[in-house]
Parts: sequence; C-alpha cells; structure tokens
Amino acid sequence: MTAISPYDLIVIGSGPAGQKAAIQAAKSGKRVALIEQNREVGGACVYQGTIPSKTLRESALQMVQFLQATDVFEFRMRDDVKIANLMTRLDKVVRAHGAFMTEQIARNGIERLHGRAQFVSDRAIQVQGLDGTTRTIEGNYIVIATGSRPRVPDHMPIDHEHILDSDSILSLVYLPKSLTVFGGGVIACEYASIFALLGVQVTMIDTADRPLKFLDQELTEQFCHAFEQTGGNYRGQLKIQSAQWDGYSKTMTRLENGEVLESEKILVALGRVANIEQLNIQAAGLEATPRGLIAVNAHCQTTVPHIYAVGDVIGPPSLASCSMEQGRRATCHALGLESGDAPEHIPMGIYTIPEMSSVGLTEQDAVEKFGGALVGRARFHEIARGQISGTTNGLLKMVADAQGKKLLGVHIVGEGATELIHIGQMGLLHNIAIDRFVDNIFNFPTLAEAYRVAALDIAKQRKK
Amino acid sequence: MPTTATQPTQEEECQTLRTFITTSLEHGTVDLPLLPQVANQVLQLSDDPNADVTKLSALIQQDQALAGKILHVANSPAYLPRSPIVSLQQAVAWLGMNMLAGLAFSVSVQSGIFTIKGYEREVRLLWGHALATGLFGKEIARRLRHNVENAFLCGLLHTIGKPVLLHLLLTSPLHKLHSLSWQALEPLIQEFHISAGTKLAENWKLPSPVQEAIRLYPDHTYREATSPTKGTVITCLADHLASYTLGRNPLEEETLRALPVIQDLNFYPDDIDALLDLGEGIQKSVEAFLV
Repeated sequence: MTAISPYDLIVIGSGPAGQKAAIQAAKSGKRVALIEQNREVGGACVYQGTIPSKTLRESALQMVQFLQATDVFEFRMRDDVKIANLMTRLDKVVRAHGAFMTEQIARNGIERLHGRAQFVSDRAIQVQGLDGTTRTIEGNYIVIATGSRPRVPDHMPIDHEHILDSDSILSLVYLPKSLTVFGGGVIACEYASIFALLGVQVTMIDTADRPLKFLDQELTEQFCHAFEQTGGNYRGQLKIQSAQWDGYSKTMTRLENGEVLESEKILVALGRVANIEQLNIQAAGLEATPRGLIAVNAHCQTTVPHIYAVGDVIGPPSLASCSMEQGRRATCHALGLESGDAPEHIPMGIYTIPEMSSVGLTEQDAVEKFGGALVGRARFHEIARGQISGTTNGLLKMVADAQGKKLLGVHIVGEGATELIHIGQMGLLHNIAIDRFVDNIFNFPTLAEAYRVAALDIAKQRKK
Repeated sequence: MPTTATQPTQEEECQTLRTFITTSLEHGTVDLPLLPQVANQVLQLSDDPNADVTKLSALIQQDQALAGKILHVANSPAYLPRSPIVSLQQAVAWLGMNMLAGLAFSVSVQSGIFTIKGYEREVRLLWGHALATGLFGKEIARRLRHNVENAFLCGLLHTIGKPVLLHLLLTSPLHKLHSLSWQALEPLIQEFHISAGTKLAENWKLPSPVQEAIRLYPDHTYREATSPTKGTVITCLADHLASYTLGRNPLEEETLRALPVIQDLNFYPDDIDALLDLGEGIQKSVEAFLV
C-alpha cells in the first residue's frame, strides 16, 4: 500500500457528471483525482448510452433517407451494408468522443486513476487496480458519480445472446427478424423505434396504457402512430410472466393473461439501477435509499457534508445534460465557488423516431396549477420547411395561461424537436409573452416558424 | 515401408512438408472434413421426421467444421439471404429447420469423413479446444455485455486452420508421411494454422469478424483487430482459458492472470475468478460433445 496522498477533490466515475465535477475543480486550481474503473473515460454515456444510441439512430435515419432517395437518384444500396456499417460508424463515433474526453481531462491536469473505488472512511478511498493491487487516497471532498446500469429483473434470464439489455443490443451484428421490447420508458421507446425503422418487426410490452406517460399525451399518440406506420406495435396494460429462449430459434414471452409471444430476440428495458454496491458507502457513513439511490439535497450534498453525489446515482431525471450541471454545481458548492442561478425549465429530449422534446408545464399541469390553459398547435405539414424537408410528421404544442398571455410550456414531436425546444426554453426563462412570438420574424422557411403558428393559434382562441 | 540409404531425416521431411503446405496454401484449395460422429448424427437427425430440432441446432452450433460449412452455404446466392448470415442463430432462424436439415445432410454427404487412423485422439483434442474456446468466448462476452453469438463463432472457428492442415498433410501424396509422429506434425500445424485458416475463411467467405479472429487472435496480433464486435480480443483470452481448462499446453495460473489481454479487456481479478469457475462446466460440455 502506498502512502496516502491528499487531494482537494476526489471524483469517482468519469461520466458526464463526474467529468464536469472534476474539470470545474481543476479549473479552480485544485488538485483533483478522477477514479474510473474502465480503461476509457466517459462512462455509460459514451460507451453504452447516450452517444451510441443516438449515433445508431442518426445512422438508421440517414440509411432510410438514402433508401427513400433511391427512386429519385437511381442508385441502389448494397444489401450487405446494413447493420455492419451502422455498427462501424457507431464504433468510430464512440472512439472519437472518448478520445476527446480523455484529452480534455489530461489538459486540465486531472490525475486519472484506473481502478475500482471503495470507501474506507468518509475521506479515504481504496482503489483496486486491474492486477489486484490497491492504494488508498484521501480527499477533502468526494463526489460520487458512478452512474447506472440496466436493471435485470429477477425473472428475466438476460443472456446477452437471445434476451438482451440496452448494453448488449448495441453489439448486434445482424438485424433480427423480430424483437419484443419490454418496457415503455425512454430507452425502450428509443430502441423500439430505431429497430422498427430498420425493418425489424417490433412489439413493445408494458404495464402502462401508453408509452412515456410522463409526456404530453398528444406527443405520445403521435409517436405511437409513427411507430405503427413503421410496423411497430405497442401493447399496453400487459404483465410479463416469464421470458425464455426455446433452445432453438426463437424467444417466448409468456404474459399473465396466458398469451405467448414469439420473437427472434427480446430487449429488456425495464429501468436502470445505480452503481453503488461496490463502493462500500457504509464506511463513509452513507446509506442507500430503499430504491438503491444516494439521497442528496439541492446542492447534491449527501448526509455527510463533504461527500456529494451526482448523475444517475441520485435518480431522476437521469439526463446527461442535467448530470453535467449537477457535477459542476456540486463542485462549486463544495469549494465555495459562485455557481449561478439554479437551472429552471430543464428541457427533456427523447431520441425516438420521431424525436420528442418537452420543457415547462404540460396542458394538464397548467390546468391543475392555474385552473386553466390555452393551447396552440402547429403541425409540421402546415409549415413550409416541413414540406420541403419531408418532415411533415410533427407537432409543436404551446401551453399558455388561461388568458393566453404567458408561456408555460412547449412540447414538440417531430424531427428536430430536441433542437427546436431551446427557443421555447429561452422564452420560458425570459418570460416572453405569447404575442412576442407573433410580432417577431423568424427565418423562412424554417421549422421555427411553428412557434409563430402555435402562438397565433393561441391568440386566435384568446380573441374568442 | 522401404528403407534406403537416402531416406530423408525427420528434419528434411519437415522441410519438404513445409514447402508442400506453402505451395498448397498458395495455389491449391483447402477443405475441411467433418468428424465421423458428427456426420453420423447429422445424417440420423436429418433422416428422422420426429427428430428433436434442438439437437440438430445444437450440433451445428457445436461443431467447428459443420458451423463453417453451414455459414458458407447459407450465404451462397442459392439461399438468398436478405443480409449476410453472420451468426449460427441467425442461420437457424433464417433458413428454418427443414432447410437447415437438408443443408446439414448435403454438407455431411459431400464432406470427407475425418477418419485418420492413429490420430483420433489429436483430432478430438483440436475439436475440443475449438469448442471450449467458443464456450469461453460466450462467457467473456456475457461479462462484457457484448455480442455473445459473434464471440462464440469466433472462438469455435479460430483454429479451423489446424484440422485443415492435418487433413492436408495426412492425405498428401508425400511418401512416408505416416512415419511422422504427432510431435513432428504439431509444430507444422502450429506454424501454418493461421495461414490455412485465413485461406479457408476467405474461400468460404466467413463473416468478416470471424475472418479477423482467425487471422489475428494470438497475443502478439489481437491489438491489430478493428472490428467493433471485439471477437478477436475475446477469442485471444478464450483460447488461453480453453488451454488452461483442458490442460493442453496451459500457462501457469499466475502467468495467465498477468496476460496483457486481460488488462485490455479491463478484467479485474474477480472477473477472472468467475471465468475460471466456469471451466469445469465447459470441460463437461466438451467431453459430452466428443463422446
């Protein structure tokens, strides 16, 4: 065991949250150690989550656009370029992003320790290397940012061969003929829509009557419609009894109603669990919540004041964007640095096909909170840019107060939704009145014009 | 067997064989026979309308030669795959059982049966090692939450060049071949099996990750692999674990645990403990298959 080295800040985990926490401290001139159990930095976000799934999505969309263009441009894609090319591009993007992050950490003078971290006390952490040797380091402040992994329910025999999780599905080397997706959350919907677009017969099974129940219902209805148009099928209000491979060529899903569904593969996307088992948090005086998370206050501070927790280990919203900000703010709080106003109106982006994005109150929230709401809608097929780009399957929904004056929320489904939402976010942050969207000029033709159309829709209702 | 004063030494014979192998690989075609018991089982299953389909599927997924041939034929224009068949599970699902049985039947009939008197044990060991490597490949991939099908196939086929060479040597027209001991043949097989396997994989148009694993699986080359499937690096470790478990040219456990490939796969000591714990089960699977 080597001598104990004091650090100003120790960060465990190098995903979006941990990385930003470490960089914030390093930029403030502090001595920082970043412990990562994997060889590469970046965490699940880079290697199993956000980056790979979005890259796969973009590649699938581009491929389908190419295929749709074959009639116009009279070319034919080789049959054998499909999944292999998608995966090769995925690998390249992931490697490039990983290399960029590694360089960023090195540039900021952060000391990287490759190994598994385990608390010895509230200030000391033992790091076990790949060869089994250990060293113990100490820090004045510690940030836990160990992320999450796919949840494996007890009755699901995930073998990563026939029954996959959201990690192993990314390494498929061919497209199965059929896929049953368990779950109706973000990950389930993203992969279900991607594989349906690629021609796989996809069936989603969930207990909820509709997927993504936390979203505006009109958005999810439009998503379901698009999903069905690509051959997908959402089956809600069903409970899964068991899943198994038949030992020969297909998987069998038994439902509690007695029905048996067959498919070539199954994707289990029934949530994620925080990576805290190996940390021995009890040694630091911490305890996991009943849901297996680490409880924190508004500053991401745990019950031990000099230990912070950020990202997926503290639970929802579990968005990479929020995790990065949590990491930065946790470090600022620990080091007594100014961190700015707490973020409001955090947008949510869901990379289904089509994309969905949401910021602020839903129509239902607004009615509950203010006793009423006016809703303006703009459908992409009414927008010139939508027709030009073929992005006609979309909807922008603006939620205003009952008088139709104050913007309360924006909800978008359609390609470009995750970019387009930021106009609404800025509008909410600066309390921009609905009429400002009507009075001002947007580039023409753009999808942003939908804001003006939706605002006019509200104004029209207001006059009544 | 005639003996003359000019009879070549064993070393000269090896050199002659080396030249023969090189020439055959450069100019000739290479082929691979099935094990007799596998061919017999395929024929029996194909002929039996009540046969358990899972047995044929399992048989195909456990035999190096049959797996390679099925992939080769399944990718041919005759079967019109909508996209390349790159996995045995995919072949089974795509072709359907009737077609697969017919295919296995024709492959068995067309292939030579691998009965080389005096080398039965060695041939069985080669097959056993390949299967154990495939099974370890699966378990390594599971720990990585990575593609299990591809890892298995890469492991199963990574030394396909060895039986190819053995068949080539033992059916060659060279005189006095049978006087060569296994000890004399083995270094030649070790020396040329990657070239022979690469040639066969190219001829049969095996999936590119499998071709890469055959070509690059050894310790000194696996880092050159570029396929995102990780089949080559997984096969490198699986090959060592198979040798260790089956007791064939094994490394000491301490040396095994210090292999660079373990570090490259980011495996901690408890990961290796878990893999080694699976050894007994894998050994039993291999023995069951070869009986």
